[in-house]
Amino acid sequence: MTPKIAVRSLRHEYVNPFTRERVLALDGVDLEVAPGEFLTVVGPSGCGKTTLLGILAGLVRPTRGEVLLDGRAVTGPGPDRGVVFQEFAILPWRTVERNIAHGLEIRGVPRAQRAATVRRFVELVGLAGFERKYPHELSGGMKQRVAVARTLAADPEVMLMDEPFAAVDAQTRITLQEELNAIARATRKTILFVTHNVEEAVFLGDRCCVLARRPGRVKAMVPVPIPRERRTWTLFTSDPTFDAARQRVLTLVREEVGGQDRAG
Amino acid sequence: MTLRERLAAWGLLLGGALAAWTLAAAALPVPAYVLPSPAAVLQALGDLVTKGILPFYVLASLRRLVTAALVAAAVGVPLGLLLGMSRRVAEFVHPVLNFFQSVSGIAWLPLMLVWFGFGERTILVAINYTVLFPVVFNALLGVRSVPPLYASALRTLGASRWRIARDVLIPGALPNIATGLRLGLAYGWRALIAAEMLVGAHGLGFMIFSAQSFHLTARIVLGMSVIGALWVLLDYFVLRPLEEATIARWGLVQR
Repeated sequence: MTPKIAVRSLRHEYVNPFTRERVLALDGVDLEVAPGEFLTVVGPSGCGKTTLLGILAGLVRPTRGEVLLDGRAVTGPGPDRGVVFQEFAILPWRTVERNIAHGLEIRGVPRAQRAATVRRFVELVGLAGFERKYPHELSGGMKQRVAVARTLAADPEVMLMDEPFAAVDAQTRITLQEELNAIARATRKTILFVTHNVEEAVFLGDRCCVLARRPGRVKAMVPVPIPRERRTWTLFTSDPTFDAARQRVLTLVREEVGGQDRAG
Repeated sequence: MTLRERLAAWGLLLGGALAAWTLAAAALPVPAYVLPSPAAVLQALGDLVTKGILPFYVLASLRRLVTAALVAAAVGVPLGLLLGMSRRVAEFVHPVLNFFQSVSGIAWLPLMLVWFGFGERTILVAINYTVLFPVVFNALLGVRSVPPLYASALRTLGASRWRIARDVLIPGALPNIATGLRLGLAYGWRALIAAEMLVGAHGLGFMIFSAQSFHLTARIVLGMSVIGALWVLLDYFVLRPLEEATIARWGLVQR
């Protein structure tokens, strides 16, 4: 089966605009994501996670190597790859429903059809009753729900998520993770989710891709063989399969953080 | 303080100032024209209104200001937006705009008199110039202040450059555009009065300057009061609501 996403010997080098140093962010990254798979990418800060996601999105052009979507090379951003950013990237001057409808507007979907789609995704992310609110009237968790709904409503083939729940409080994060799990189950989208949080990576991912830092490359792939419908936080804390995967990923990530400390 | 309390406090302050002024005008051993009393100013007001002179001058000045505002909105806003679209162009023109914004229309007047003559043309050039630069400058700053993340997000939704300009850059710049218009008109109002004093054949600036030749000081004080009062009303009822409508609705300030 052709992978949905294939990353081939990716290398990315850039000049830090502040220090003027050359930074080798990624070197020799190879990975494949199967159709419908939920892949989490985890690693310490500075391992090039966000750069990798930017390259997949087509917002960053890699120095070398390539990204294939269904076997076709990615050359720029496109609506086939929806992105949910770390910060709140929804527009403050648009209401919740107008933000969610934005991708559909851009595609030229007729108004009536747009309204129906928006209603569906408003329900799915639990924002019913907030359609006419502006982002500044919403909590952080709700803003990120709008961002997820906007991406889903545009119906991309792949969802790329860059630490989307990092800026919300711990309680909300747990709820959002369970909701995202349910959404992944319902929509069967291929999802690539970047995070520095080991628990989050294991809870959500069919597989966890652990990145080594400076330069970033794939250190290990840890499968989490638990079906989507059994993933809840109550089970997560008691299930031995979850626990084994969590220990494994934690150890791998710790080695990277330790290496950083020794390097000074 | 509520609006009612503020109005009461202002009333008190105004009453006190008028009383002190009346007292000073009566008690000081100077000719009446040196310090006209509030009563004399009030009389000048009644006189100029019944003769229709004051309404005519007020309308003449406001017409020039409104013309400049419309020109700035029609020309300055699009120009500023366009210059702001590219970071490189914006960085290049930023100090140039800043320079011309700081050399007010008043400082240009001597040269403009040579170029455009003693008449309406000079007044119009001076006020349009003065209003235009803050408007262009702030529209440019507005575009540059929109977080690049918004544009990236739209690109991943498949938006074209034009679409990003329309849906992200222009609405994102609106609060700055409102600020630019408010600032531009505030500068413009001062420049207009100065230009009217030098070359006007009518208008509030002409009124106070020509009154000086005949020692009509009550008329001068009246003109000054009208200049201040008109601006306060314009700012309070038109410009500030415009600025707040864009800023507050989008949660860019906490109220």
